[in-house]
Amino acid sequence: MLADMVGGGAVAWWVWPVGLFIVTFALGIIAVLGGVGGGVLFVPIVGGFFPFHLDFVRGAGLLLALCSALAAAPRLLNGGLASLNLATPLALSASIASIAGALASFYVPTQVLQVVLGFGILAIAALMWREPAAAKASHVGDRLARALHMHGVFHDSSTGRDIDWTVHRTPAGLVAFAGIGFVGGMFGLGAGWANVPALNLLMGAPLKLAVGSSGLVISLSNSSAAWVYIQSGAVLPLLAVPSILGVMLGSRIGARMLLVARTATIRRVICGVMVLAGLRSLLRGLGI
Amino acid sequence: MTARVARDEAEATYARWLARGTQIGLGALVASFFAYVAGLLAPLVPFGELPRLWQLPVAQFVAQTGAPTGWGWLARLGAGDYLNILGVALLSSVTAVAYARVLFVYLRRGDRWHAALAVAQIVVLLAAASGLLAGGR
Repeated sequence: MLADMVGGGAVAWWVWPVGLFIVTFALGIIAVLGGVGGGVLFVPIVGGFFPFHLDFVRGAGLLLALCSALAAAPRLLNGGLASLNLATPLALSASIASIAGALASFYVPTQVLQVVLGFGILAIAALMWREPAAAKASHVGDRLARALHMHGVFHDSSTGRDIDWTVHRTPAGLVAFAGIGFVGGMFGLGAGWANVPALNLLMGAPLKLAVGSSGLVISLSNSSAAWVYIQSGAVLPLLAVPSILGVMLGSRIGARMLLVARTATIRRVICGVMVLAGLRSLLRGLGI
Repeated sequence: MTARVARDEAEATYARWLARGTQIGLGALVASFFAYVAGLLAPLVPFGELPRLWQLPVAQFVAQTGAPTGWGWLARLGAGDYLNILGVALLSSVTAVAYARVLFVYLRRGDRWHAALAVAQIVVLLAAASGLLAGGR
């Protein structure tokens, strides 16, 4: 749309990275305020409204989700908000699948990718429209969780209490993370929108620990898939670097605005933008 | 109590190495990007050509520009655009390096399960980085 209005190649090359920086800076702010990852907004919006081919957009989306996750992970681990024991087995499953997803994406016709992405984004927007549900933390782990030491003590600073946690349905969790990793690798999406429900609702991890550990999983699965994009030549620095910088700077500003912003309203606005971007991707894929 | 202290040590070590590696990777990425756009290093693909080329699928982009695939970018580090891939590669390697460091913590405390998982994660990342796994339409 934006690309059509200005004719793609008719404008100076530098307009696009500058525009990308401005858009991703705004995405970084609203992503934090809306409690979503920047990656899930970046691919449909930039893929739908900028002139870049989806191959390069997916590569950039994967990298910006990776950089955001890497930057946040040390603080989350040191603050006890993420667990390496919980994340490692799930990330292994997600990493293998994300490589498969990234590889498969280069053999699927672009139109098919755009249609599937469009449907996927519309489904994610529908999920996000509902208030996020939270399950109670599990206190009885399954055999696999015990064998892998997927348990610990989580200090909830909002209540001041220590919570003994473990997880259940670990085999189902491993399968779920394989599916999420495949989708993440294929579309270059950050996968927090799926990781957190899988950890909390399916496996019974405390919600805050699920949010933090989801970032650890993304940092690992996206590292694996990122190599496939690098080796395939699908990383365009003029697209990827301004996007990474824009989202990272925007998310810092967003974190400062978190205290005064009406996050529920912003979440609804994000859903609206995602519906537009999803429809745009769908129509592009269908050649309409 | 011992197990908890040991686990915290693994997480603290992982977090420390992740933080350092990410700082180095992001620093390299930002520095190389400014060298690229400031014209300090000539790019492989001229800026003026990009608006036509970035609309193409990656396989056609590679065919028309002679852009490197696999580990070919290492031989092109003198070009401003491909110097940026070094920063991207560093960032994509941080988790493998951090796991390699944590592996020693797991081995020292005899935690075979987590040592095996760390090795498996490193192997997966190395397989992805090997260049044997690349695609294109």
